[in-house]
Amino acid sequence: MRKWLSILAVAAMTIASVGCAGNAAQKPAAEVKAEAPAAEAPKEESVPTEKIKIKFAVQADSTPALETLISSFNSAQNEYEAEIVEFTNDSGQMHDQLLTSLSSGSDEYDVMSLDVVWAGEFAAAGYIEALDMLMDEAGFNETDFNAGSMASGKYQGKQYTLPYFPDLGLLYFRTDIVSEEDAKKLESGDYTYDDFYEMAEKYSGQGGTETGYVFQSKQYEGLTCNASEFTNSYTNLKSGLETMKKFVESKAVPADILNYDEGATDTSFTQGKSVFSRNWPYQYGLIKGETSKVKPDQISIAPLPTGNVVGGWLLSMNKNSKSPEGAWAFMSFVAGQEGQKINSTQGGYLPGFNALLNDEEIKKANELLNFPGFQKALQSTISRPVSAEYAKVSDTVQVNVHKYLSGSQDIDTTVKTLEEALKQ
Amino acid sequence: MSKRISLKEFLFILPILVIISIFSIWPIVDSIKYTVFDYRLNDQQNSKMFLDSSFNTSGFNENAKYIAYYLKKDMAFIEAGDQKQEFERIMGYVSEMAASYSEQNQNIKLSGSEAKKIETFMAEVRADVTKLYEANRDVELGNRENIQLVMDDLDKSIIGSNFIGFTAYKQVLKDLRFWSALKNTVLFTSVSVFIEFMLGLALAMIMNKAMKGIGIIRTISLIPWAIPTAVSALMWSYMYDGGSGIIAKLFADIGLVQSAEQLLLTSGGAMVCAIIADVWKTTPYMALLILGGLQTIDGGLYESSQIDGAGKIRTFLSITMPLLKPAILVALLFRTLDAFRVYDLIAVLTGGGPGGSTETLSIYAYKIMFGQTNFGYGSVVVVMMFICVAAIATLFVKVLGTDLMSKS
Repeated sequence: MRKWLSILAVAAMTIASVGCAGNAAQKPAAEVKAEAPAAEAPKEESVPTEKIKIKFAVQADSTPALETLISSFNSAQNEYEAEIVEFTNDSGQMHDQLLTSLSSGSDEYDVMSLDVVWAGEFAAAGYIEALDMLMDEAGFNETDFNAGSMASGKYQGKQYTLPYFPDLGLLYFRTDIVSEEDAKKLESGDYTYDDFYEMAEKYSGQGGTETGYVFQSKQYEGLTCNASEFTNSYTNLKSGLETMKKFVESKAVPADILNYDEGATDTSFTQGKSVFSRNWPYQYGLIKGETSKVKPDQISIAPLPTGNVVGGWLLSMNKNSKSPEGAWAFMSFVAGQEGQKINSTQGGYLPGFNALLNDEEIKKANELLNFPGFQKALQSTISRPVSAEYAKVSDTVQVNVHKYLSGSQDIDTTVKTLEEALKQ
Repeated sequence: MSKRISLKEFLFILPILVIISIFSIWPIVDSIKYTVFDYRLNDQQNSKMFLDSSFNTSGFNENAKYIAYYLKKDMAFIEAGDQKQEFERIMGYVSEMAASYSEQNQNIKLSGSEAKKIETFMAEVRADVTKLYEANRDVELGNRENIQLVMDDLDKSIIGSNFIGFTAYKQVLKDLRFWSALKNTVLFTSVSVFIEFMLGLALAMIMNKAMKGIGIIRTISLIPWAIPTAVSALMWSYMYDGGSGIIAKLFADIGLVQSAEQLLLTSGGAMVCAIIADVWKTTPYMALLILGGLQTIDGGLYESSQIDGAGKIRTFLSITMPLLKPAILVALLFRTLDAFRVYDLIAVLTGGGPGGSTETLSIYAYKIMFGQTNFGYGSVVVVMMFICVAAIATLFVKVLGTDLMSKS
């Protein structure tokens, strides 16, 4: 037993001394590191060719827009040099990667693009910088930008993000089936879900269609978006959900609507099986495609009755950025008029800067903007819940709404559970 | 009894001891440590494991600055001179306080008097601001709500310890979703392992017969097990699909479900689907393990039983089954523990839906830990799972393995 103990003691001492030596050796290195930038700093000022690098964390862009944004920012001034750090198109992976980097206090990225639903979480964690004061100095107003995108980045009384490019839920409908009077009503946005319900029932089955309305109510993120729209961002939970259920049980929607996601929705609409569909702007691209039985001249777009949920991406600034001034300069360039114009004309993205909505060049690049109903929809955007625990809240919404819609939970329990979850 | 080992012998096993402690013991101890903290990445106050309270200087500085900033913005709408003065006074001392913590950019420990000073400051600001906005309640001030929210945030800059002891364990026992996940896991495990065992045993008996082409049969029967789970789950999800799936249509035609779409949409249907896919995939594995056991049984025993006049059933019950017990124990233990941890199949097939009715413990733990970055509570679920697995293993060994253990 003695022998054992002595061996252990020796082993422990060896490890401890190695550990100490390691620390001792590292310390001077760290000190040197800390001093180095201080010594170099004045040099940088006197030699303007040394540009400060601004790293932009963003998903790969298949259009030339991102490259152009970077090059025009870099040529517009000579203090900073923006650089892309490209992420995979798997959002979940990007989220985890950013979170890991930020939680270690890293300054690896200066400006980050965030999915609209991450902003609350990143803001609550204290990883991103609040922008109100900077916006004030730069002369930006909250109303200059897309309302839903801005709401997505507002947490605890502070604005943490600017829009990179918004995406939004839309109501597509068949102009060859819906009467002109009803079409006008839809496009104006001046109608209720009850009005719309009547229309869906009325037109269901007409013009070779099988069903009236298709939307997303499978148990996944899309259900959170649709529930947000029916309940006007959860402000009228009970009646909103009841309306949603009325649709689900109606003969004017497919029997398996509770298993519909975007894919099922666009298939139904482009194959001419439904009169109305709620989907994102990408569906218009499909309608223009060759495989679509429904052609662009047969459809129009309208805002949803109580607001359209935004998707898309936001811009945010790392709190630990070495050069907050540079990060802000880049960010305000991208979110501002010039950057948004490049993004819209070269990438076909929607502008998050409202003044550009009627810009002729952008309208040319974005056919959707020529629909009056689409313009209306962009002006009535709402956000999904903004929460530090968005994933949890969205999960609760999906499970409970799906239970309610499929008839295994009553409305009062559902509303109560959701109200509690949304408070978080 | 075991012999005491010498120093030389100990030195030989030392490397493996070190490796085990680094790669197995340390992670386990660490994840158990997580369970006693409210450890979440999405909250500044809980993003590390704090044993003592500390002070978040950058959070304090930012929020104090915002209070002054919102006051300044709203002051522009105030007409009365005395009210304006009050705005200025509050702004003045808030900015001063913000400035005194502007240099530091991290969490620091506060001395008693300093902590007191900050707490008094927070209370004073709240009282002053509330009073001020109350006095000007008729004026339209744009940041009335914002400033309240910022003050709430300011209070959070004093970070208490997030050591919570066993509170999370109490919470998990009351967590309905945990119990429903446990119920789903137990249901999935018991039903699928039972069916797999029955089919696997039958399959093994067939494969144990010496006949022509048995080699090919054995190889072919292993194919389902050789396919990666994610791939086979995807394959099954196509077949279960309400719109185009062959199995969904078949079930609907023979009346097992009302309509093809209902198959994956009802909680019972989704569970049955998951079990069928699992049985299809792992029955060959079960058969393989049992076949290994069958082949160790001495053929002479069967001959003697035949001479003694025992029938097929008697032979099976008195010779095959008892001698197969060790193999069955291993097979059942492996499969039960495997099925209890099921993740990939369910994640691909249903993702836990509909309405959480196929959500197993692994799926739930994954969602908490990585979806919500709540490592503390996620670890609690994992530890609970570990306890269940340990209990299952003990039970099996106790019930089935008495002879097996005593032999050694």
